[in-house]
Amino acid sequence: MHSFPRSAPLIIAGQSVLYIFRERTVAMLSALFVVLVLISAYLGWSATSTVNAIYADAAVYLKGIGQTVPANPVLDISPLSLLRNMSIYVSLIGALAAIVIGYQLIASDRKSGVVPILGTRPMTKLAYARGKIAALATLLAALMAVAAVISVSTFLLLPQFTLSAHGWLKLFGFFGLSYAYMAMFGLVALATAAQSRSESVGLLLPVTLWLTVTFILPSLTSNIHPTAAINPISALAPAPDTPFFHWTGYLVGPFSIAESFKYLSAGLLDFLPPGAVARSAISPLADLAIAFAAAAGLATLALCRMDMTRGDYNV
Amino acid sequence: MSDHKAPISAIARKDISDAKRDRFILTITIFLVLAALASLLTGAIAMATDVATYNDAKATLLALGKNADTFAKPEFYPLRLLRGAIEQIEIIGAVLGILTGFRAAASERGRQTLALIMTRPVKQWQFLAGKLGAGAALLSAGLGVVFLLAALLLAATSGIGLSGNDLLRILIVWITSSFYATSFFLLAFISTLWMKRPANALLFSFIVWLLLVLVAPQIGDTLDPDNQVAGGVFKQLQVPKAEQNKIKASYATFETVRNDIEVSSITKHYERFTFAVLGIKDTYTGQPLGPILIEKSGDFFWIIFATIGLTGLMFSRRLKSNRLTKE
Repeated sequence: MHSFPRSAPLIIAGQSVLYIFRERTVAMLSALFVVLVLISAYLGWSATSTVNAIYADAAVYLKGIGQTVPANPVLDISPLSLLRNMSIYVSLIGALAAIVIGYQLIASDRKSGVVPILGTRPMTKLAYARGKIAALATLLAALMAVAAVISVSTFLLLPQFTLSAHGWLKLFGFFGLSYAYMAMFGLVALATAAQSRSESVGLLLPVTLWLTVTFILPSLTSNIHPTAAINPISALAPAPDTPFFHWTGYLVGPFSIAESFKYLSAGLLDFLPPGAVARSAISPLADLAIAFAAAAGLATLALCRMDMTRGDYNV
Repeated sequence: MSDHKAPISAIARKDISDAKRDRFILTITIFLVLAALASLLTGAIAMATDVATYNDAKATLLALGKNADTFAKPEFYPLRLLRGAIEQIEIIGAVLGILTGFRAAASERGRQTLALIMTRPVKQWQFLAGKLGAGAALLSAGLGVVFLLAALLLAATSGIGLSGNDLLRILIVWITSSFYATSFFLLAFISTLWMKRPANALLFSFIVWLLLVLVAPQIGDTLDPDNQVAGGVFKQLQVPKAEQNKIKASYATFETVRNDIEVSSITKHYERFTFAVLGIKDTYTGQPLGPILIEKSGDFFWIIFATIGLTGLMFSRRLKSNRLTKE
């Protein structure tokens, strides 16, 4: 009998990556993410330039009426902060793209009926899990690498851009953080696609989780409405100074991973407002690390407990 | 009931009863209700803080023997507390529309019942009208629960109470919200009926949702100079409103581009109309309803015509025989 190659996870990962490249919906969502990354730096630069010009006009008016001219609110702005929109695009489109990739990696096998065939092969479920997780990691790394190359290139073309070695380090720290944040949602999607009976539920559970952490929890912890949550500056507005928000910030904060991500991103991209403090019971970095570990554990467990006798989903 | 209406009604009733059994639609509806109420509640708590701050400041001034009338008493409009709920409907209400539309088409294709229905003496337009009627009714009912509970919560938490005019405004916003969610129902329903694979239709609907509901408003919002500085650039520079408008006038092209991006999104029309009717936007707060409706009729009709346009699109194309099953 021929034994199954020892590199089964590699074969699974390679085949899965190739399959995902053929998926048009994944391509559409990934392309959308890349296009938005492309215009992100321009948007930041354009908006900041406009504020500068408004300041110049306002200064003329204020001097004219004999009032003191306040300091320019965007003076001495870090060039990194021009990329602030990236933090929003990662938390919106990047996370959703990761969900779709994670879901398709498993759903494609289930829908095409190969799961029961894989169950007959001399391969452990752990090898299957490792292959699928490696495929997810590779695909998201490729997406993030394209995003990083495009954003850095676009940035270099913009006027007045210089960055110190420390700045570059922070920029790459942001890309690493974004990668981990996206991977977290992709891992959850792997788990739900593997365990759900219904195809749509497999996709919609991680989407619901994403909606909750992006739009609902920030309103509970900081009274940040959804339209503020899509603006990198408004999303960091201080919470009302009341016992209710102190407690929700402290207790619900650890679950509000989108806020943790935005807080850390703002720190790395130099647009964290002065005096901003994380109010959660767990520090944002530890919060994301725990959430990532939980998602990885969930995906591994769900894939290792996947029923290899069942193929397609119910309706 | 006429012969034409009987099949429509039968399909609609069957779809509503299916949806009631489908726990996922119910779960998302409850999710929307909770999200909207949570936003309303946190808004009310934040407003109560403002009231307390005002009262404390007033008491301090009185204790110092000063005239408390020197600083204006802030006016509190309970309908403004609906801002968070409206924003949740913009996002999650649209998702509810997509899921209801997807389920309405995917369930028939998945159970292979679409082909069976087409063999019965039911005209294709009757089948589609029944599905649309059921979807619109389900969405209206779900949103009705949101607004009913929100109105009750508003009356209970604001301590100000709701007038008949307030309730009329909520009614208008409920009707508009129903059309808004129905347009997303149609998007998902049409694509799930037409596309080869229903799951891809769901993803396609989500991509359109992402562009219309989040990306276009996000770009418009980002390009607003007043959003680039925490608290607002004009507020921080302490520039009065009249001068703000003068300064803004010199950036007319920039503002036109920004506005064009925003108005390409049905969500922005929905937001502009509802924010004006409910007085959430400062310039409309406390203003009479009639002139607001006239001024904002363009946004309202944009939503209505988008829904009518998608309905026309749905009826315009015949169902393909190779799209009657799941894949």
